[in-house]
Amino acid sequence: MDKKRIVLAEDNNTLSLLLKFRLEKEGYELFMAKDGKEAITLIEASNPDLIITDIMMPFISGLEVISHIRIALDKDTPIIVFSSAGQEEMVLKAFSLGANDFMGKPFSPNELMIRIKRILN
Amino acid sequence: MDTSTVKIILQILHYIFFTYAFLAISSYIVLSIISGKETLNYFKKKSFVNYKDILSSTLSPSITIIAPAYNESLNIVENVRSLLSNHYVNYSVIIVNDGSKDDSLERLIKAYNLEKINYIVNEKIKTKPLRAGVFKSKNPAFERLMVVDKENGGKADALNMGLNISKSKYVACIDVDCLLVEDALLKMIKPFLDETETKVIAAGGVIRIANSCVIKDGKLLDINLPKNLLVQSQILEYLRAFLLGRMAWSKLNGLLVISGAFGILDKNIAIAVGGYDTNTVGEDMEIIVRMRRYMEERNEKYRVSYIPDPLCWTEAPDSYKIFISQRNRWTRGTIETLKKHRKVAFNPKYGTFGLISYPYWLIFERLGPIIEVVGLLYFTILIVLKEVKWEYALSFLVLSYIFSVLFSIVAIYSEELTFHQYKKKGAGVKLILLSALEPFILHPFVLYAAVRGNFDYFFKKKKSWGNMVRKGLTTN
Amino acid sequence: MMIDYQHLMTYFNESPIYIQVAWGTSLILAIAIVCLSVYLKVLRFHLRKKEIENKLLKSEYEALIIEYLYTEDELGDGHTFKESVIEQLQSAILIESKRKLIISILYNLTYEVSGELSDTIKTLYIKAGFVAHALKRLESKHWYIIAKGIGELSHFRIDNVYNNVSKFLDHPRLEVRKETELYLVELFKFKGLSFLNTLTDTLSEWMQLRLLETLQKFDDQQICDINPWLKSQNESVILFAIKLAQIYNQFEVQNTLTELLSHPKKQVRIAAIQALTHLYGIEAKEMLKANFNDLSLEEQICFFGMLEKLVMPSDEPFVEKYLFHKNFDIQLLALKILKSINIEKYMGLSKTTTNEKDSSMIELVNTI
Repeated sequence: MDKKRIVLAEDNNTLSLLLKFRLEKEGYELFMAKDGKEAITLIEASNPDLIITDIMMPFISGLEVISHIRIALDKDTPIIVFSSAGQEEMVLKAFSLGANDFMGKPFSPNELMIRIKRILN
Repeated sequence: MDTSTVKIILQILHYIFFTYAFLAISSYIVLSIISGKETLNYFKKKSFVNYKDILSSTLSPSITIIAPAYNESLNIVENVRSLLSNHYVNYSVIIVNDGSKDDSLERLIKAYNLEKINYIVNEKIKTKPLRAGVFKSKNPAFERLMVVDKENGGKADALNMGLNISKSKYVACIDVDCLLVEDALLKMIKPFLDETETKVIAAGGVIRIANSCVIKDGKLLDINLPKNLLVQSQILEYLRAFLLGRMAWSKLNGLLVISGAFGILDKNIAIAVGGYDTNTVGEDMEIIVRMRRYMEERNEKYRVSYIPDPLCWTEAPDSYKIFISQRNRWTRGTIETLKKHRKVAFNPKYGTFGLISYPYWLIFERLGPIIEVVGLLYFTILIVLKEVKWEYALSFLVLSYIFSVLFSIVAIYSEELTFHQYKKKGAGVKLILLSALEPFILHPFVLYAAVRGNFDYFFKKKKSWGNMVRKGLTTN
Repeated sequence: MMIDYQHLMTYFNESPIYIQVAWGTSLILAIAIVCLSVYLKVLRFHLRKKEIENKLLKSEYEALIIEYLYTEDELGDGHTFKESVIEQLQSAILIESKRKLIISILYNLTYEVSGELSDTIKTLYIKAGFVAHALKRLESKHWYIIAKGIGELSHFRIDNVYNNVSKFLDHPRLEVRKETELYLVELFKFKGLSFLNTLTDTLSEWMQLRLLETLQKFDDQQICDINPWLKSQNESVILFAIKLAQIYNQFEVQNTLTELLSHPKKQVRIAAIQALTHLYGIEAKEMLKANFNDLSLEEQICFFGMLEKLVMPSDEPFVEKYLFHKNFDIQLLALKILKSINIEKYMGLSKTTTNEKDSSMIELVNTI
């Protein structure tokens, strides 16, 4: 079976590293983006099975990434967004743009794993 | 007139110039000592502040970025995008298109999926009317953005329109082509929230020069020292002005100007004083002086704050022609502002504002170039009259040159020990060489521009958007 | 060469005092310039070296810490991987620059992750000996070092050092007191707020935000009685308590909030109106309506904001009086409110209005 591909867009380097470590251990193939623009390029190139994106990112925000996937690319790839505490409004916008799930920071990586598995199976 | 009278006059002039130079030099020394202390203090305080703690707080106060634009179609889409990605929760962006004749508005509508909304401006400050109207995006990803298209009225008028429309407690007035670093709003809003007994009415930031820096997708990736000597010299000049000058004035609560390129104002006070003055080319300085007067006249404790972190990067003129017209405008702005508020000068009712900062600006910033020109004329006359005592002239010329070089080096040190932005190998040597050269590269033109500014102010009143020709920061 | 030098010295000695001073100073300053220029090269070299080093170290430690976090507890004796990481960190924290680096990595992680991982991070922090180091900072004679130490201890919620920290509640520097107060709240949640009872300092907006953000982190949102703070002598405490009332939906303090409507400070009155709007303060609404003309303009605008949310059909006669109020905000809100309670009367307005400004307002409200 092919490895499932995940694009992770997150501008915090340590967190990306942490998640990469964990997700690769679980047998996923990871594509890392530092900002929204990189994320869009990666998504277009790699056609992932899941997209995980932070909301607050430089230049192109997570919201714009979602709107790009759903509207410009017209894809229904599942999307999980990360948001910081107090960004409830942003989360609502993310859902209205077509996000599938969200995790509020700080979050537990174990919980993230559970949600990823639930979405991908 | 016999020769003895002439001699006495010359003697008096002699002493006036000497005293002036002495005072100027002493003020530099005093200011750099104060700034040194204040910088240390700033870093101590900053050492345990965790901006992240409130980074995402929805309870943080609202800020509106007001960015006036006039014929900026070349880069406007990119610039707006960069403004939209600041790390702060509670902020919105108003782009005021001040009657641009290019396709700025069309580009914005297309890029951000804008639609016209019904809107009536609450005209707290009188401005030129709307032209195409007020636009917002249909895409929730750009909800922060509002584009206001109005008839041309100049930068001050455009800012006033923004003040009328903003619903926030604070407004950040910026040049649309500026690059703000991610935590710019967060760091600049802190002084407003920190003070308890005094009211912070405005906060200004440092302007850094972005020429030759690598900027991609609204992010500053690499900081370089430009090759162009004029731009290099301005970098040194900015380091001196911001790291030494303003830091010290902020300690003395004597800041009279907050750069129009990036500053935050308390909106209610800015509106209460009537907004930006549309009749001056120095609206950024004028409004601060007026807000200060307003607070002084109400006997309220207030402060104009300053944040030395490099938060705002902008393009500096790289040709002498543009440079001179920019400085010419600055000079006229200073003259107009000081003249309009001459009541403050030496007036004890206005405290340190009237007794120290205003007089300092008047004597050293406003009159400096004039005194310098008179001095040069005086020296020429002495040469003609063969009255020059060359030993004196030479020794003091050398002394003042060496002092100015040393002063620049002190500025370089304060940069290296604090923010250390020019990390590349070789930049240090370049900066040192520049300190030696700068008095010849930059100063004569600054002086010339200031004289032209005076001339233009008194003999032809003209007013327009600065004709800064932009190459655009985003093209690498 | 020798002759030149002597010649110069004679010239110098024979010159007037001013010239001697000028040349003398120039010489000293010139020497200073040369020294500073040379030292700048050294300084910059040093800074560059350190930066490269730090970058390397950072990625090294980052990898190490992440691997530590994901390593299951190993059974059996002998040198386990986890122990070796701890040992490495223990020796690293003796060097200031390395310690700073590790702390920044740990800080960074705690902002992003929670649950079992954040516990592991805390354990790592304790085991590697950071606590002792932070405690050492509390003994410093510099206030900013103390403040930083306390900040670190509260960030990692180290609760067994309470006695070492709590004594700083009376420290002469405001910054240190604030960090201590935050430590208490971090540890004891709402109970930690008891310092508010006797607080004489003004709580800055920044501090209030930090307190609220700290409180919101907890899962247990059981709030204590905030009535005493609403009655505090300290205005900033009142304002803070009003925010608590609003955020934590404290319907039971409505009466105290209503009393605050006659507080001498306008800022407090306005905050109270806003909180009461949020808490459906119908009684307060009636009261404000009755005293409307005695309110300041800001309060009046604020009250119309309240009315917009809590309006009832019986408010119609009141609202009608302000449909053409000269204040933009009041007029706008009054029109909006009328439209919401009596659309027919509202539609009738446009027919009777002749004033251009008024009719454009009516038209605007019609579209929203």
